[in-house]
Amino acid sequence: MTDTTTTTTSVNSDATQIGGRDLMIEMSGVDKFFGSFQALTSIDMRVGTGEVVVVIGPSGSGKSTLIRCLNRLEHHDRGRIVVDGVELTDDVRNIALIRRETGMVFQQFNLFPHITVIDNITLGPRQVLKMPKKQAEDRAMELLERVKIPEQARKFPGQLSGGQQQRVAIARSLAMQPKIMLFDEPTSALDPEMISEVLDVILELSQTGMTLIVVTHEMGFAREAADRVIFMADGEIVEVGEPEHFFTNPREERTQLFLSQIL
Amino acid sequence: MTATAPPPETRPQGDPSRLPPEMRFSPSNWLRKNLFNNWYNTLITVVAVVVGAILLFYGGRFIFVTGQWEAVRKNLTLLMMGVYPRNEQWRLVAQMYLVASALGLAWGTVTARSHDRAEETGVVAQRATPRDLLRRYWSILLLLAVILVFTRTIWPTLFTLSTIAVGLAVRAGAMRLPPSSRRICGYAAAFMAIVSFQVVSGASGSAWWWTSALFALAAFQLTSARDLTKYLGTTMNWPIFGRTRLVTARDLVRLKRFAQILAVVAAVVVVRIAYWLIGDTSSVSWDDWSGLYLTLVASGAAIILSFPLALLLAVGRRSSLPAIRWLCVSYIELFRGVPFIVLLFVAKIFIDFFLNIDTPLSLTTRTIIVFTIFSSAYLAEVVRGGLQAVPRGQIEAGQAVGLQPPAVMRLIVLPQALRAVIPAMVGQFISLYKDSTLFTFISVVEFYRARELIHSQQEFTTTAIAETLVFVAFAYWAISYTMSKESQRLERHLGVGER
Repeated sequence: MTDTTTTTTSVNSDATQIGGRDLMIEMSGVDKFFGSFQALTSIDMRVGTGEVVVVIGPSGSGKSTLIRCLNRLEHHDRGRIVVDGVELTDDVRNIALIRRETGMVFQQFNLFPHITVIDNITLGPRQVLKMPKKQAEDRAMELLERVKIPEQARKFPGQLSGGQQQRVAIARSLAMQPKIMLFDEPTSALDPEMISEVLDVILELSQTGMTLIVVTHEMGFAREAADRVIFMADGEIVEVGEPEHFFTNPREERTQLFLSQIL
Repeated sequence: MTATAPPPETRPQGDPSRLPPEMRFSPSNWLRKNLFNNWYNTLITVVAVVVGAILLFYGGRFIFVTGQWEAVRKNLTLLMMGVYPRNEQWRLVAQMYLVASALGLAWGTVTARSHDRAEETGVVAQRATPRDLLRRYWSILLLLAVILVFTRTIWPTLFTLSTIAVGLAVRAGAMRLPPSSRRICGYAAAFMAIVSFQVVSGASGSAWWWTSALFALAAFQLTSARDLTKYLGTTMNWPIFGRTRLVTARDLVRLKRFAQILAVVAAVVVVRIAYWLIGDTSSVSWDDWSGLYLTLVASGAAIILSFPLALLLAVGRRSSLPAIRWLCVSYIELFRGVPFIVLLFVAKIFIDFFLNIDTPLSLTTRTIIVFTIFSSAYLAEVVRGGLQAVPRGQIEAGQAVGLQPPAVMRLIVLPQALRAVIPAMVGQFISLYKDSTLFTFISVVEFYRARELIHSQQEFTTTAIAETLVFVAFAYWAISYTMSKESQRLERHLGVGER
């Protein structure tokens, strides 16, 4: 907890605001290496509370690595990452604190195949938040209503379609009542007809005031939901902008090239 | 990823013209298609039928006509309980009843719990019919029937049937108990099992220690589970404190700790006194266990003990701490690299030397110890294979949900890893069970050694050698086969709804 106070005091007062919002995530000068390969190069990024940030870029550009650094699934080699006033260090208490406040949705869903859907959702609340079983299950059912599949509660993940599985994964993350949700290409492993059902859920979330960082290739979604779009290439943030401006009038050459390839 | 299955009504049903052609079944069709579809398959079929018939004829003649089963019949007691003192046989009978009750209690509790869970989740469990049970256990039941056929009096049959009856009765009773008593039932079952072994080994030496440890654990658990305010009220007005005040959380913690210590001490004292009252009955000891009985107990103990050890070793081998990893790797590589017979001789000759204690452990204990060590090294590698089969994304998902590493291991990785390696694990158990024949080399009279003892009798030095061999082989097979079948069932059972 002492870390928290030192962190907040060290940042001067006008730096705790971004675009009229309180600062939620701050990355400064972050480098990340896999062996000798540099996956991230001096990343500076600030995200405000309730902001919806969409990260796009060609494959291998470091998008996933970027958000995986935010909840310490990857550790960064240089620079500072501060999430909600807590700095990510090797201190396991800080890591636990940050993981409790961030939910993550994976490309491959990563549901636990050996337990039922409802057990998938209640596992975190019961084990980490020590919530009583009844309460956790009631909450899980609410969340399943919200992602529109309450009837699947007692099934196993393997019995669900990809889109349903991904919605369960979203419910599982929401069950921990996170302040931040990280989406790592949530629709890339889905059949085309299931993409919209997942995007709808994320879109709905974006209107609840939760902080979202979404790595995606769905440009339509980016245009509709994002407050800001970040374009990454070769481990660097190349361009940041509001979606309208970003898609119609990109500044950088690499952005233009990328957009011309996919649109 | 699987998509949802099409609704059943869209599948072709019943109408033969809509079935795929290979499903239109008739015996002559099937024969022509699978056994006589060309000249070499016809040849193979004919040869196989002839060879099979010949084997069946000679096998049947040996078993029912020419076989001299007198050797087995006369020595059945030797095969079953080896050199266990004949006038102490009642101890084995008593154990049979105790173990049957313990199993019935555990089985009943587990069934009742799964019924409750089924009711809660709305998934109705299918009840096993007698026919299912017969299909599952036919090899063991056949073995039991063969053994009973060889007995000369009616008593063993009566004992067997009444044991089964006791087990089923206890199970039926346990299922009617309220859910709150399940924890006590678990302890009671374990207690009965432990006591039963003390009955067969005599309650001498350090045996009381096990019972008191179990009692202490039970007392500790039961004290922790109680809400003390129920008994004490929320205010304290005990004279020693002088004044009345509210009970604080801190008081409760202290009181609970005090109650726990008291319960544990009381449990140990009670057990010690009980054993003191019983006195020393050293007419039998662990080293009297022998025959099929020893084979079952030793391999059962090794299976039960090596499993948790193997889990620790496998997890330790993947630890990020070099010291732990190194220790686990050394253990595994050392005990996998040494022949089991060498370990057995170490058990017989060296262990006392290393341990340097006054009263030597019984040979049976030492054998079981090395048996466990040996099998845990192999089992650890099997479990490690399972751990590696769990995708990295599962661990990451667990971490992202906020679980700490031990919880990720316990709740996410291990359950998936273990069910992936059930076949390999049971294979290990079966080979372990049969490895107990190697005890012969250190003159521990297990099942196979008991068979050799038959042929050291003057009457059977050169006769009935094939008969005893066939009987022993059959007994080993019957039990291994059931283990293998049960593993398949477990696999199917756990595989429900998996990817």
